[in-house]
Amino acid sequence: MSNYYLALVIVVVALAGVSEAFGQQATEMYIPIGQSPGVSGKSTLLATIESVDPGKRTLTVSGPAGSRKFQLADRTLIWIDRSAQKQRNQTGTLADLQRGRKVEIKPDEGAGQAVAKWIKVQL
Amino acid sequence: MISKMICSSARLCALAAGLSVLSACKTPPPAPVDPVAKGREIFFNETFGGNGRTCGTCHPAENNFTLDAAFIATLPPDNPLFVAETNAELRKNFENPKLMRQFGLILENLDGFDDLENKFVMRGVPHVLAMRTSVNSKQGPRTGWSGDGAPGDGTLRSFATGAVIQHFTRTLNRVAGVDFRLPTAEELDALEAFTLSLGRQQDLALPLPLKGSVAKRGQEIFLDNRLGKCNLCHANAGASANFGGGNLGNANFNTGVESLPDQPAKLTGEKIPLDDGFGRPGNNTFNTPPLVEAASTGPFFHNNAIETIEGAVAFYSGDSFNKSPAGQVLAASDPQKVGIKLDATQVVAVAAFLRVLNAVESIRQSIELLEAGAQEGSAAREEDKQLLRQAVIKTEDTIRVLEAGGLHPEAVAHLREAEELANKAARSFFGRQSLIMQAIERQRNARAQLVEGF
Repeated sequence: MSNYYLALVIVVVALAGVSEAFGQQATEMYIPIGQSPGVSGKSTLLATIESVDPGKRTLTVSGPAGSRKFQLADRTLIWIDRSAQKQRNQTGTLADLQRGRKVEIKPDEGAGQAVAKWIKVQL
Repeated sequence: MISKMICSSARLCALAAGLSVLSACKTPPPAPVDPVAKGREIFFNETFGGNGRTCGTCHPAENNFTLDAAFIATLPPDNPLFVAETNAELRKNFENPKLMRQFGLILENLDGFDDLENKFVMRGVPHVLAMRTSVNSKQGPRTGWSGDGAPGDGTLRSFATGAVIQHFTRTLNRVAGVDFRLPTAEELDALEAFTLSLGRQQDLALPLPLKGSVAKRGQEIFLDNRLGKCNLCHANAGASANFGGGNLGNANFNTGVESLPDQPAKLTGEKIPLDDGFGRPGNNTFNTPPLVEAASTGPFFHNNAIETIEGAVAFYSGDSFNKSPAGQVLAASDPQKVGIKLDATQVVAVAAFLRVLNAVESIRQSIELLEAGAQEGSAAREEDKQLLRQAVIKTEDTIRVLEAGGLHPEAVAHLREAEELANKAARSFFGRQSLIMQAIERQRNARAQLVEGF
């Protein structure tokens, strides 16, 4: 490969490849817990909230494999799933994560399995 | 299959198995479901309990699975595409009917639904042909104009789920189970199988032995990595990048389309926020569409900013592209520090090449439709008629693509004959096979005018 092409490959691949392909978050918000195609039951965890530490922004949940703790990053998205009440799903906050509520958590693969990319909490 | 044939006759069934008719035929093996056929049925007929739209509403087969203003103008007012005009719940912030009718633009809330008044983008409808060759990338699947169209795992299979939420809803509440139902896993499988079956199943291997001198020169320019540079990001006129080190798959680039001055839709004065492309917030990149299908699927780019294939090629010699990150990279890598600079005749030549490529592919599809429409027996009659009608539409398309570029009048003459023969075959019962065979022959004659060796 000539230097010309090598330079092109490096720069253009860098430009093109900075973004990891991902599921669109806009419509994800309206998908009820456990029904997200290709991720629910595969790369998400369905669990119940055990405890929340607002100061440390951590969430401990109990799932099929026992307890797990997740860190909430600044970019972690929280959605309130109200589809069971036939109401519009909403964007939520840490305050909506309350003990006993059912959640679906998608780990942020880029940041490690212990950081949540998004959390759906069922009301 | 054998047991099914035997059990189709109760008498034979009893004889063959030596059992009672009931016990032998009670549990026949389930008929195999063709996922492509099932996907087709869902694609064109399933509304998912929503506002009446189907996938085919925005991706109609009779218009190359895309929308443009001319096609939209032929639709009746009660077509579900126009739900924003007919459904009071969707009148505001669901579509912009003016931009839809004038430019084929669809409203999308890719950056979220929390501020419908201000957070939206207006995008053209990408065709869904040749998906098998255009979705995969090194970073994962790329769907939609910015490569991030699907929720869930972001795959083509998951795409329909997001489309139902965005486009099929009865109200802006978008409550699953109320405003629509989500596709089941089986439906997603079938839809994926159907969309993957459409159009080309593999990339071409350029160069082709083209006959026309202008298209031939266009191909040379296209493949020249120091002149046209088209083949770097559209390897073999597909949707994959290849910079000399192998196929990199589909890629996203910021080519500066959003910076184009005087974009037709923006000239209306309608509110059109900046489209920031991939991600949330976006990184201003959009993914690369395949070019073989381009000439018959305009307008071009994610915002339908350019109406003609000649204009789309010319875009890459303009300031918007050459000042964009992608254009700057090309310039930085060029010995003369030039991004892309083609003169008018070269632009037309590249466009002619793309028109001919498109015609060759359309002829292939027309022949496929004609062959499929030649089934024997009256049971297949209605299906055959539909296939023949599709072949006619495809042929009209090919004629339009060549004529608009002033290309290959002899091929156009053959295609007109093929169109007439296919039309006659669709109307006729006796002699249908012969008419179809003649139509196929005319298609082949047309192709022989475009490329050597067919």
